Amino acid sequence: MFSPEKKRLTANAVLVLLVLVMPLVFWTKPSVIGYLNIAMLYALATQGLNLLMGYGGLVSLGHAAFMAIGGYTAAVLVMTYHVNMFLAILAGVAGAGVFGLVIGFPSLRLSGFYLAVATMALGSSTADVIKRLSITGGDYGLANIPSLRLGPWTLASDASRYYFFVVVLALVFLGVRNFLNSRSGRAVRAVRDSEMTAAAIGINVAAYKLITFVFAACIAGLSGALYAFTISYLHPSNFGLTFSIGLLSMSIIGGLGTIIGPILGALFWVMLPLIIGGKLTYLATVIFGLSIMGSVVFLPKGLSELVTRVQSRLKL
Amino acid sequence: MNSSILLNLTLRGLTTGAVYALVGMGIVLILQTTNVMNFAQGDTGMFITYLAFFMITTAKVPYSLVLILVIAAGAVIGLLVERFLMRSVRSRSHLSLIMLTLGLSLVFQGLAAFLFNTEPRLFPPLVTGDPVQVGPVVLSRQDIVVLLATLVVFGILYLFLYRTKQGTAARSISQDEYAARVLGIPTPSIYMLVWAIGSALAGLAALLIVPRFSLEPSFMGLIQVKAFSAIVLGGMDSVFGAAVGGLIIGVVENLVAYQFPAIKDSFMLIVVVIVLLVLPQGLFGKRQQRRF
Repeated sequence: MFSPEKKRLTANAVLVLLVLVMPLVFWTKPSVIGYLNIAMLYALATQGLNLLMGYGGLVSLGHAAFMAIGGYTAAVLVMTYHVNMFLAILAGVAGAGVFGLVIGFPSLRLSGFYLAVATMALGSSTADVIKRLSITGGDYGLANIPSLRLGPWTLASDASRYYFFVVVLALVFLGVRNFLNSRSGRAVRAVRDSEMTAAAIGINVAAYKLITFVFAACIAGLSGALYAFTISYLHPSNFGLTFSIGLLSMSIIGGLGTIIGPILGALFWVMLPLIIGGKLTYLATVIFGLSIMGSVVFLPKGLSELVTRVQSRLKL
Repeated sequence: MNSSILLNLTLRGLTTGAVYALVGMGIVLILQTTNVMNFAQGDTGMFITYLAFFMITTAKVPYSLVLILVIAAGAVIGLLVERFLMRSVRSRSHLSLIMLTLGLSLVFQGLAAFLFNTEPRLFPPLVTGDPVQVGPVVLSRQDIVVLLATLVVFGILYLFLYRTKQGTAARSISQDEYAARVLGIPTPSIYMLVWAIGSALAGLAALLIVPRFSLEPSFMGLIQVKAFSAIVLGGMDSVFGAAVGGLIIGVVENLVAYQFPAIKDSFMLIVVVIVLLVLPQGLFGKRQQRRF
């Protein structure tokens, strides 16, 4: 029959094609595309968390704060100071990165439970501070954020944003994969597996922990900035502890330490409540909880482990 | 502010802190013995409180009986969680254990929202009646009950940990689990006992604090964050530290809230981060060497 490479190539081509025709399939139901967009943004933020936890071994229970910083920075710059949108998004990413550096410092001294509590504290207080500031709209939230604009094109429709996000997602995921396969990425993983060994073979443990934190924060900041211009509304309570735990759940369900895990996790998180729908929506939370427990007990690599199993069954 | 206001604020802070202490003591007890940071502590309590709510409003069960039932329900939930969830994954990494309890808390939240819907409900206070005035101090009866209950629980916990065979066993496991097994301590049953006590404390704490808020699936969220702050402040390895940490947080938070209401919640969290960085062993924890 086919050679393995050919099979894999065909499978990937089919997958890419599927992704590209998705908006045409759901042409009559734009809301589905809207939800896919949200899932992609969540996947982006989750990839940052995955980098931090899955590859860096650093717990964060305040990851939503990075999204909030990215989103608010970009939105305030565009709305109040009329900065070019592209530059504003970059500023949002940079702002989240700087914040990641600040939050990353505790990680140099703390690990395990202590780091979890410290990031939880910093994450919840960030949301609280945003709520008190006037420039961010405070408790009323920031409404009427302009829609995403790329140079001369305004991405007003869900379908146009969909393609843009697919490109962004692909670029970021490629970037993360290449980073992890680089010298620095191997150093990050070495620090996760054993700090002492890593230090002994000459890896600057502190620097790599900070790099991981900043990188993860930047990705989440990008996700937050794009989120702001997609949803057009930001409210601090959307980025509190609950959402941080949500991002954590997505990365665990999708599979920590796998590149495609965040996409699977985010799709699961966004789509499940829609599929079961109606009065059963709250049941989704129960299923999320059970899936987390299930993936810890049975599938340490989450949904992506299922995908790998199917792949090997089909000999892809 | 004058001294009588200060005194009242402090006492009111103590009652809030007492609840943080109750939740925190349960978390530390479980953490110390079984090495699991229980992020489901608050939501276990929340779920039990829903059961209590329906016992009181629908089944008209008297309060004293509800109190006993709540403690029993917490103990049963703790036993089940240990036996069927934690036991199989004991040897996993800290991260996996945290994730497991986070999953559990989502299950409780989802179940509560699904079964009882999310609209806030008013929970009748344990005791009603006019506030009690002693000199310049005014305290509601509920607050007095909370303070007394915390004292009693603290005393019982102390007696359990230091005066019973099981308590000594639990402490020895927290020092060296392997050595404890070698000495013939039945670790699985001690784990179950500790989980039962910890979860019972969660139920009791939630029942005591709920009249001040309203009953909804997320009401324990912030309290649990405060309880975590309390145990960090007290040093994660002592039940006593968690109790004192909880009281300190309750009092400081109330004083700060009086002067600067806007920063009430963030203030303590920032303090916690600073404590973690400057004094990682907390106020009462044992000083540890940095381990890799």
